[in-house]
Amino acid sequence: MTKTLLTIVIISIMILFFSKISYSVEPEEFLQNPKQEIRARDISKNIRCLVCQNQSIDDSSAPLAKDLRALIRMKVQENNSDEEIYKFLTDRYGDFILLKPPFKINTFLLWSLPFIFLIIGIFILFVHNKKSKKIS
Amino acid sequence: MKKKILIFPFITFLFILIVFFYLLVIERDPSELPSVLIDKKIPTFEAESLLNKKKFISKNEFGNETTLVNFFATWCGPCRDEHVYLKRLSNEKGLKIIGVNYKDDSNKTVEWLKELGNPYSDVIVDSKGLIGIDWGVYGIPETYIVNSKGIIKYRLVGSITKKNYNAFYSKIKKSED
Repeated sequence: MTKTLLTIVIISIMILFFSKISYSVEPEEFLQNPKQEIRARDISKNIRCLVCQNQSIDDSSAPLAKDLRALIRMKVQENNSDEEIYKFLTDRYGDFILLKPPFKINTFLLWSLPFIFLIIGIFILFVHNKKSKKIS
Repeated sequence: MKKKILIFPFITFLFILIVFFYLLVIERDPSELPSVLIDKKIPTFEAESLLNKKKFISKNEFGNETTLVNFFATWCGPCRDEHVYLKRLSNEKGLKIIGVNYKDDSNKTVEWLKELGNPYSDVIVDSKGLIGIDWGVYGIPETYIVNSKGIIKYRLVGSITKKNYNAFYSKIKKSED
């Protein structure tokens, strides 16, 4: 009895965790061509909703997010490349609209500092290790 | 020697603390985004005019005098609040205000302008919000200051209020420098 109960609980937890988070894309927004739809979805996932800021426009139900989704789908149908679509958006809203900031001079520290700290950390460990070995 | 080294993390921590505290105390809205269009030419566009029968062509309308471009809608509460300040600004000489009616019902807008008065030299219809996207609008009301050369000099996100009116007014004056 307890075993089946436990199984049910575990399965429901698994379903809860592994199921996709619900998206805000409404059925009437879907494109007929599934390949184009997937491309539009992939782009939308990288675009920040400027109203709710920590959500992508794929997740957000803000009106602006809906407009941007429609715009991206329109551009996908017009056979614009991904780069062209990203450029169109960053020209108007800046790099902030990309959820992943590009590697540029002003984002150099953002991207490189973790690696610099990692190297410093390894260096400190190395030196410390050597010292403690000497003492022993 | 060893103790001296220990002071470094402490100083770093204190420094970070001071920076965070400073950012907390100063008056700043972290959700407000700077416009990438500042110091750039205005986007070119053509659109329906709400009040005139002829088409609005951006090339013919900008570049003679300082122009405010105000994105507004009747469904937007803060737009109503700032209307009185727009009217005050419309009395300024050498200043033109163009309204962009963002995703709105045209009939309601006409009624709205009748009721509150019309500070705009022209009102453009942006029923799908596509002109808004071209200007990088993300939440109305937004007001752009365009100088007489057709260059965007400033963007105000949110309404013009009693509090920010003077600062906004001086930004208009400075836009021609």
